[in-house]
Amino acid sequence: MEKSKASGSTSLLSKNLNIVGDIQGDEDLHVEGRFKGSIKITGNIFVGQTGVVEAEVEADNIVIQGKINGNVVARQQLEIQSLGELIGDCSAHSIDIKEGAIFEGRSNMLRPAATPPASSQPRAKMRPK
Amino acid sequence: MNLFGKKDKESSPPVVPPQAVPKVAAKNSPKDMALDTTYFGKNLKVKGNVSGEGSLIILGSFEGEFNLTGRLKVAQGARIKGNVKATDIYVNGNVEGSITASEKVHLDSTARVKGGIATPRISVLEGAMFDGEIKMSKRTPQESKPASPGPQQTSPGPVAPGKRETVL
Repeated sequence: MEKSKASGSTSLLSKNLNIVGDIQGDEDLHVEGRFKGSIKITGNIFVGQTGVVEAEVEADNIVIQGKINGNVVARQQLEIQSLGELIGDCSAHSIDIKEGAIFEGRSNMLRPAATPPASSQPRAKMRPK
Repeated sequence: MNLFGKKDKESSPPVVPPQAVPKVAAKNSPKDMALDTTYFGKNLKVKGNVSGEGSLIILGSFEGEFNLTGRLKVAQGARIKGNVKATDIYVNGNVEGSITASEKVHLDSTARVKGGIATPRISVLEGAMFDGEIKMSKRTPQESKPASPGPQQTSPGPVAPGKRETVL
């Protein structure tokens, strides 16, 4: 599942938790709960079996074992496992869809030249004034 | 000569009192345990509302509202802006907003809190900064005892019952 560790730490959204909002950062993320909004991280996302994500998702590697409803951008690889479900369009450098997986939407392959410089986005430092 | 370069006076590593680190020593199912505790790493910025059950540890920054059944731990260096509601709340980082606990609130020595606190039990360590107001709310009904006339939390002062003043 991990191809490249972002910063060595993995954040977890556990099973009985709901979040509505958005997540940004430089970290791997493991979702077992429910999330609605948008996710943009430099790192990998793993949506576990109990995870339900209704969001625009952008990450390096994305592995779906649960559900994602929304458009997905994987700068490297998108993997939908056999229990996984993706309803929405995907853009990825490479895709891996296992037998039994559900995918409804368009797929768009990112070519190295066409890859937006997403990985070099400035890491905004939010400091309350 | 060593006016410069000796700035970082590192004191000995702070010894965290054991009760401040609520580590659950459940060894039988570390995986399940691990998946029960939501964890936001320090490089994560989350905005929005969080609700649900389970414990939560925050190391990064969070803006929004919490409504949690379980333990919330705001680690040192973490920043929270918004109202926080949980069963018990341990603060080692920064919180700006109101804090409401149904069990207890603990402010560690590195805590920086700006806002109101409402809780039935509180502890504050030396070094904590707290700008705001505390309201001692009643404990949630699950633990409230039927008002017993026996030994309560009255001061241990030797006040004989007969000497009690009754103001009419």
